[in-house]
Amino acid sequence: MKSIKVQLWYGLLGLGILLGLLTAYRVLISTGFVLYAKTDILVWTMPIAAYVFFSLTSSGLAFVSSIPVVFGIKRYQPLEKRTAFLEIAVLFAAFTCLLLHLGSPWNVVYYLFSPNLASPLWWLGMLYGIYLILLLLSFRKIHKAQVSKGLGIFTFIIAIATSTALGWLFGLPDARPAYNANFLAMYFPLTGFGSALAAVLLFSLAYHHFAKIPLSEGDRNLYDDLSKLFGVVMVFALIFFIWRTIVGGASATAAEFAGFRHMLSSGWYHIALWVGLVIPLALIAMPAVRQATWGKVTAAALFLVGMFAGRLEMVLSGLVMPTGPKAEGQPTFASYWPTIWEVFVFASALAVLLLVYTLGERKLKLSDVPE
Amino acid sequence: MPKYAMVIDLQRCVGCGACSIACRNENNVPDGIYWSNKITETSGTFPNVRFHYLPTLCNHCSDAPCVTGCPTKAMYKLDNGITMHDPKKCIGCRYCQYNCPYEVIYFNWQEPHKFWRDPKPVIEGGTSSPKEMAQKVNNGNATPYSNPDRAKTLPENRPKGVVEKCTFCDHRLKAGEIPFCVEACPADARVFGDLDKPDSRVNWLLGKYKPYRLKERLGTEPNVYYIRSFNPAHYQRTKGGI
Repeated sequence: MKSIKVQLWYGLLGLGILLGLLTAYRVLISTGFVLYAKTDILVWTMPIAAYVFFSLTSSGLAFVSSIPVVFGIKRYQPLEKRTAFLEIAVLFAAFTCLLLHLGSPWNVVYYLFSPNLASPLWWLGMLYGIYLILLLLSFRKIHKAQVSKGLGIFTFIIAIATSTALGWLFGLPDARPAYNANFLAMYFPLTGFGSALAAVLLFSLAYHHFAKIPLSEGDRNLYDDLSKLFGVVMVFALIFFIWRTIVGGASATAAEFAGFRHMLSSGWYHIALWVGLVIPLALIAMPAVRQATWGKVTAAALFLVGMFAGRLEMVLSGLVMPTGPKAEGQPTFASYWPTIWEVFVFASALAVLLLVYTLGERKLKLSDVPE
Repeated sequence: MPKYAMVIDLQRCVGCGACSIACRNENNVPDGIYWSNKITETSGTFPNVRFHYLPTLCNHCSDAPCVTGCPTKAMYKLDNGITMHDPKKCIGCRYCQYNCPYEVIYFNWQEPHKFWRDPKPVIEGGTSSPKEMAQKVNNGNATPYSNPDRAKTLPENRPKGVVEKCTFCDHRLKAGEIPFCVEACPADARVFGDLDKPDSRVNWLLGKYKPYRLKERLGTEPNVYYIRSFNPAHYQRTKGGI
């Protein structure tokens, strides 16, 4: 019975990856990117929002895994190995989204042969490359039950650099002030950390559930502690979110913020606010719910759903209002709903994440605690 | 080394769109992509309304955000001030589109000129199909109207998955010719030249009339200038009233 469930699980993940391969074939080789709901107005849509979501979660996981190594808070050590492996799995998901976003991914070789050091996108590519190598090295050390403080600190620094550089990337264009680089450089690492705490809670508690390993007193205390930290991060994320709404939505009169003002009435914005922040925060604020496994899992899952919607809302807010010659014959605001192929991008990225993680969980003893 | 610029005289421009058609023919621009474009708007309330027409193209900014943002230098500046694009280095990230404040860069979402590979007749039983037409005219190798001269500095047709935009007809400049939109303008509303030559016609116009450029506050230093605005006629003097 168990083996049938496992085979079904692998079959489902395999299907997700097949959908990704089919999408890659259709967009890159046969039909083209017309399969996505992208236009020359909405040049970035769900695949890039998914990339931002996964890459920031991965950076956030680096913050979580560095808590015992970099900050010396030893009670988080039992999470270290699972978190470190999750960072790699989530990063693979981010790369999957990126691959299915790029029009000519084979030209990425020019990152090396024709680098533009002034471009935040070049730096981001390089930093993520270094980040992946560091993660693999760190995990190898942890797997061998060794701890390298130097490697941990370096990974932590690169994780800060990647998540803040993503803010630089979005905030570079002066023509789109709705993406404020200074704001995003703080908001991205913070919410990435929140997504990471949610992911650690979800995956750790899922491990206990599926492996039928009851939570020990120590585990219970650790996850309660983690939930409190998750709640604190959510409070700050909500404060940032509200101030972004006030500054860009309510008080800005500049035409460039009109797209964001339009997004305030969109479903994506409200999912991000209510499903992603208000409801999970309310759940975590109640001690009885916070201490219950279902409470932690629900709050973490809702936060991740809301974060994903928020990433999409943020990407769309700077693009949704056509300007200049591209506004000719167009409605004031472009409408967006993902096509099935864009959904496949997200589904395949999630399948890659879960497949890598499942294999790691089964083969690499992610519950081991490094000395 | 020259520093090329274009002056567009809005008093002369009649809004015929010949520049856009000429550009499309010269550069084999596919459907849905506009190297040469326009911004139109109406002002006033009926019956007192006016139609405004502003021709647009890549501004070949001296401090081009698309060039700054491009990770692989696929978007780059020539010494003569032209902002060029190399499809061979383009990864198709569309960050240049994201960065361009003027919305003049387009992405090839699918194979260019796909229409000419359609085997379905436009009118069933009445006309030949686009594919048959392309086959008859050019052995099916390209579109019936493809200009091979474009291939001197860029692929004749840019592949799917990369961006493209106006190049000030750099291939024509190399041959000592002016951009084709300038050549084709029936009203001589577009004037092209070298800003480094003090006595060039562009400098003469920029000195004679107060020019402006699009979104100057962004500091991108565009090299497309606009002078004058269409002046319909004088009006009878009035102090208005309440």
